[in-house]
Amino acid sequence: MPLILNGLEPIPWWLAGAGIAFVTLALLWVSSNRLGVSTGFENVCSLVVRAPYFGRDAIRGSNGWRLPLLGGLVLGGFLSAVLGGGWEPTWALGMFDTAIGWGPAGKVAWMFVGGLLIGFGTRLAGGCTSGHGIFGLSNLELPSLVSTVSFMAAGAVTTNLIYRVIV
Amino acid sequence: MMTLFYVVLGTLFGFILSRSGAADYNYIQGMFLFEEFQLYGIIGTAVALAAPGLWLLKRYGKTLTGKPLVVERKAGHRGNVYGGILFGIGWSITGMCPGPVLVNVGEGKLYALAALAGVLVGAALFGCSYRVLTRPFRLPPLAVGTGEG
Repeated sequence: MPLILNGLEPIPWWLAGAGIAFVTLALLWVSSNRLGVSTGFENVCSLVVRAPYFGRDAIRGSNGWRLPLLGGLVLGGFLSAVLGGGWEPTWALGMFDTAIGWGPAGKVAWMFVGGLLIGFGTRLAGGCTSGHGIFGLSNLELPSLVSTVSFMAAGAVTTNLIYRVIV
Repeated sequence: MMTLFYVVLGTLFGFILSRSGAADYNYIQGMFLFEEFQLYGIIGTAVALAAPGLWLLKRYGKTLTGKPLVVERKAGHRGNVYGGILFGIGWSITGMCPGPVLVNVGEGKLYALAALAGVLVGAALFGCSYRVLTRPFRLPPLAVGTGEG
């Protein structure tokens, strides 16, 4: 199945998995940091929201590495588009367009609601796919296994409800 | 110098997520519908290779610059389950987990900006309501937090 991005063929799963393992280990070996993206959103919040939670040491002390890492993720997506057929703003959303077919306004509302759940949920869970699913599981941590099973199960139920029951 | 290292590592991570299907709406739905193996292969390979590497690094016990390498473990609490469920629903709705939200913004997917706005508002709401959530979810003290990741 081609990617939505310029109809590119995806790289093999084993190569992507090996690359992510390399990123995880490089971050730990070079700078002693646990891979994890979702806390980075708290670092962004700490720049504008004056709440005690965002002023704690774990946040203020990690702005220096999490914010550049987040910036790199955006840059990586941009370079991927530029080097793979060109960068162009798009609303294309694959099977959502085929099966549900909402326009830009509907997509913005849908994505904002989903984003709220991601932001609130990952921070309540103490990690996301990278922090719990990759790093936590690799470090054999029980809370990460509990969280990974929870979000995989909830995602499977939701997608099956949307695409096999509702539409 | 170190800032550049983090940017380069983030860029590599983002490029891989972009080109592997991990930041692709169809591949995420295919994973949750149990129709596409790709994402299971990616996460499985990443864990299978990172786990022994991590074990070796901890055993070696030193960073590149010779400082002691310590991996702090995250605390367990009820938020692991309930937060995980909320996140899983959000992942299904958007087809993006936190890394791919940023990757999709970079790729030029306009709706990803709405997802990013939602994520930041969600994280801000969580941080501002931490004291209220501490008791029902048995969260660690505010200074510790739910776990960084």
